[in-house]
This record gives sequence, C-alpha cells and structure tokens, in this order.
Amino acid sequence: MKVALLSFAHVHATTYIQLLSDRNDIELIVTDPDAEPGDPTRGKALADELRVTYRASYEEVLAERPRAVIITSENARHRKLVEQAASAGAHILCEKPLATTEDDARAMIDTCEQAGVSLMTAYPVRFHPAFAALRHTLTDGTLGPLLSVHGVNNSRPPALERPWFADPALAGGGAIIDHTLHVADLLDVLLDGEQPTHVHAVANTLLTPDGADRPEVESAGLLTLTYANGLVATIDCSWSHPATHPTWGGLTLTCVGRRALVEFDAFPPLLTGYDTAQATTRWEPAATDLDAAMLDRFLTAARTGQRAHPDGETGLRTLKTVLAAYTSLRTGQPATTTAA
Amino acid sequence: MKRLDVAVIGAGFIARTHVPAWIALGARIRIFSTDDQAALLAEEFGLTEATSLEEALDWAAVADICTPTATHRDIALAAFEAGANVLCEKPLALTPGDAQEMAEAAHKAGRLLYPGHVVRFFPAYIRLRDAVTSGALGRVAVARFTRTGRYPTWSSWFADPALSGGIVTDQMLHDMDIARWLFGEVVSIHATQRGNLTAPGPAPKAPVATGSATLTHESGVISQVLGVWGPPATPFRYTFHVAGSNGTLTHDSLAHPSVRVTGAAGPEASAVPTGDFGEDPFAAQIREFATAFHGGPAPRVNALDGVAAVKIAAAARRSAATGLAVAIHNTTPRTPTKGSPR
Repeated sequence: MKVALLSFAHVHATTYIQLLSDRNDIELIVTDPDAEPGDPTRGKALADELRVTYRASYEEVLAERPRAVIITSENARHRKLVEQAASAGAHILCEKPLATTEDDARAMIDTCEQAGVSLMTAYPVRFHPAFAALRHTLTDGTLGPLLSVHGVNNSRPPALERPWFADPALAGGGAIIDHTLHVADLLDVLLDGEQPTHVHAVANTLLTPDGADRPEVESAGLLTLTYANGLVATIDCSWSHPATHPTWGGLTLTCVGRRALVEFDAFPPLLTGYDTAQATTRWEPAATDLDAAMLDRFLTAARTGQRAHPDGETGLRTLKTVLAAYTSLRTGQPATTTAA
Repeated sequence: MKRLDVAVIGAGFIARTHVPAWIALGARIRIFSTDDQAALLAEEFGLTEATSLEEALDWAAVADICTPTATHRDIALAAFEAGANVLCEKPLALTPGDAQEMAEAAHKAGRLLYPGHVVRFFPAYIRLRDAVTSGALGRVAVARFTRTGRYPTWSSWFADPALSGGIVTDQMLHDMDIARWLFGEVVSIHATQRGNLTAPGPAPKAPVATGSATLTHESGVISQVLGVWGPPATPFRYTFHVAGSNGTLTHDSLAHPSVRVTGAAGPEASAVPTGDFGEDPFAAQIREFATAFHGGPAPRVNALDGVAAVKIAAAARRSAATGLAVAIHNTTPRTPTKGSPR
C-alpha cells in the first residue's frame, strides 16, 4: 500500500516517518515543499537523513495516488492539504488540531464525506492500554459516577524547535490549542462524545526563555470545562516542562468518582536514575508506543475502507472546546462551546 | 519564657493536634468545649477543664480557638474582651465580614490574632517558598496544588456548609492561602464544587466532594487548586507542581515516605499526614505564635492573611454558585495592625 506524508512542519512528522519506515507492508513517499530552502531540519535534507523517498511537490505525491495520506503541516494549512488529498481519493490522517477554525474543520469533514474517504484526527493517547483500563473502571462501576476529571498535558515549548508554533496565524494560538486537545479527546472517549457546555480559561506568556522576545501566544493555560450533567474537568495545557529535561513532557488524567479515584499516567518512566556522562537525570520512557498504535489503526482502516476513529467529528468537537477557551480568554468569563 | 496560660476552646480533632504542642512549650492549659470531649482530653493530657467559656478566658493569656468555623467570631471577640491573644484555627471565619471584624477587634483591644494556616509550616511548602522568593525558580508562570483525603465524617459539622463553608472554605482555603503567600494577591477566581456539599443524613453510602479553583494573581501568575474529600479509604495526600523560567518544583506527599507500612489494612484511611520525622508542623506553628505572643518576631502569617484567605474562599464559593469568574478587589484593607508589622 502506498502511503504519503505531506509537510515536515510539525515535529511529529519525523516520528511518523521513522515508524512507517519500519513497516514492510507499505511504500512511503514524502514531501515538504513549504520548507525554507536549505533548512537542514526540513525538506529533502531531512528525507535523505531518514532514508525515505522524497518528491518535490504535493501534486507530484498525490499524482502517485497514495491510498493513505498523513498531513503534518502547520495547523492553519491542514484544510488545503486535506482537500487536495481527498480529491486524490486518499484516506487521511490529519495531525491535531484538525483545524484552527470551526469553518475549516467542518469543510474538511464535508469534503472527505463527499469524496468517500476516511478522515482521522491524530490523537494517539486514547490508544494507551492503561487508558483502556481507566475506561474500564468507569464502565464496570469501580469508579462510580464521575464527579470531576483533572488532566495535565505539559511539554517543553515546541516553538523552540519549530517557531511557527508561536505564530497565531499558523498555529491558531499557543499552548491552549496545542495541548488542550489530547486531554479533550480522552474526555470525549470517557463521556461518549458529550461536549462541555462552558469553558473557562486563564493564560499567560511568562514562560518565555530569558532574553527572548515574548511570543504573542500563551505559554501557560488553565482550563475548566463544565458539562450539562454537572461534571467538571480541568486541564493544565502549559508549555511548562523544562526544555533541557530528558523527556519532552507528559500527560496525566485523574478521575474522581463517587466510589474511587483513578489516576492515569500516559508517559511514566520505565527506568530512572542518573547519567554521569551527561550530568543529567536518566528518564527511560516505557515501551508503549502510542503513535505506532495510532498509525496501525489508520493504516488498517485505509486498507479496509473502514471509518477510522478518532474521526473528523471528534476533531471538530474537541476543537470547539479550544475555541471556547480562547473566547473565555477575551471575555474573562466562561464561554459556551456552541457560540464559537 | 513567661508563664504561658492557654485556654483551648473546643476539644475535637484540631485541639488534639494543638494540645501536645502547647504542653511541649510548658503551657498550662484550661480546656473548654460545649460537648463532652473536653473532659476526655483533660484526663488524657492532664489539663484543667473549665466549666464555662468565661472561666477559661478570664484566666488566659492566649485563647486557642479549635471550634467549628461558624463559632470562631464570637469566641474571638470574647477572648479579646478578656484581654487574651488569639490563635484561631483556619478558616478565621465563614465570611470576610466576620474575619475582618475579628481582625479589627484584635487591633482595638491591642491584642494579636493569628490564623492556624498550618500548611505554611509543612516542610515542602517552606522549601517551595524559599525557591520562589530566592529566585531559584526564575519567573514563576503557572502552579497546581492538590489536596485529597477522605470526607471528614468524624464531625458532622464539616458536611454543613453553613457551619464549615464546605470543601472550598474548609479544605481548599489551605492551598489558596499558599498560592497567595507564594505569588501575591489574587485578582480573580473561577471555581467549581460538586458532590455531597452536605453529607447525606445517616449515611447509606459514603459522601464525596470535589472542588476546583483557578486563581489569577496580580503578578500575572496563574494557579490551580484542586480539592477532594473522597471515599473512606482515600489516603491523605497533597501535591504541588510549580513551573518557572528556571525549571519546575514538584512534591507528592505520598511519593517518598520515610517509612511505609503495608499489609495492616484498616477500614478507613488516616486523616493526618504521616511519615514526616522533622518537627511536627502543628508544633512549629504554635512555637512561632507563642514566641510572637511574648513579644518575639512576627510570625509568617498574620490576621490580614487570614482575612484575605477567607475573602478568596468566599469569592470561590460565589463563583461555584454562579458559574462566573469573580473579581477580587484588594483595596488595601483598613490595616487593623497598622503601625505594627504583625
């Protein structure tokens, strides 16, 4: 099966290429035509380093009729590439956020429906076996009725690696649009797609490295989501993880039920210790590869023509939470998810 | 040190933590409570039981108020009337008005009023504050605080918000005070609370409550306070995570105990922290207050901090009730201790 990856703008492009290169059931082609010429971390230079087949343009890639396409461009450029890939008849895995506006997300979903192709949103954390175990404590009654859920998704600022993450025109915002979504997707699974009615958000830009210009986008954010049945969820979406820490960050979710509390850690260290050569803490992640599990689900769906979940509607529902958070930042009060 | 005559008012859970600390300082204690618990404590610790509030206060240099929150104000006013200094268990009062009145009464009587914000005396928070004030953390941007324990069913008044203020005022106030201590005045707050805000009567099932608060500080720092009163087997636990431009500091009170006992399972979790082998924070608090009562240096927490914490908690409850964020106006309060650093 021919699989294509469009754009290396997102930091996940490299991860996906490496995982796909390890598979012998697909033929991978890639392109990154919007990169600055000569950037050694992008374009043909990166493709050569990763030993994958490079094409010069999106059109050239799509002319080869790949059955599955992965889109890892800047957030605001997802729509155009999704539309191109759908009209080429490819099933699509789109990096999160699905889009930066509700209109774009809706248009992408409609385009894929009409083209008869599957649109999947890249939310890997729901594929964690421990998350399945957490969900089981909810469905089997161990937790009892849910009172509140508390999520944390912190990372180093991705703009250190890819400056567009701090450009609101391309990213759609900062830490809130980057990190609310993974937790929002887990909530979407736990609550069977029920959306919050209101979102309250506060944010600041204080975590700028010393000496750098303060970015326009928020680097720390705290959200509170409330649901029609009274459920409360909080999310810390801050880019507050130190850049020099041995790991990129992490994601945790604590569920408070009437009968029990359950805590989920998506990225616990398997081994810790100290490295004298590097003079730093050792932090060896567990072997659970969420991206591989997600890619496997996507490729299976593309091969069989099934609908791949999390789908575009999931991407849109979770995006509405983010857009409401930005409305709340402007007004200082909780914002509805329907008025976005 | 001069003779330390202390009237302990109330004989419940907190009195039990305070009494040994006073005894360690050589205090003479008279204890009074309106239930039959004072006699038990008097016998256990060799205290004198007073037969009335007046009898306890008339004799005392210090009143240590360990009663349910709703009664703090009247007892404190009586104590100042009787000429005593006051250590009042947190929260100082249920309403900002009552708390302010207590602070003003102390000032008028020329006496000292200190709220029992004991979390400021726990080693992890002391060390955290050092890291924040010394600049070791750099420019702090965002912080999370959690406090989890079993629902306080050992006394019925906790479950009555009219008496305790519920989980927001009784429990989350601790971390709101810590956030303000670390990051400065709070200008707005958004909060929620859920679950059994009043415990079901003769409980057929275990009550549970949870609350969240998002604080915006004048300094621009944002902080999150989460509280849980969980099912009976919920262990007591507090955590924090603070991020600044020079890195992060985290603490989890259950992560690295100095001693861990397993296998001896009981039906209910302990409500008090265990595993610390330094000075008991309750004892550290009382020693610092006793020193101040004797003219020593001002303690790390004063009446205005107590009033401010009640004000933040009241705003949080208003937010939880309305669903709206609530602005907190920190118009410099009439400083009842003006002219004194206390």
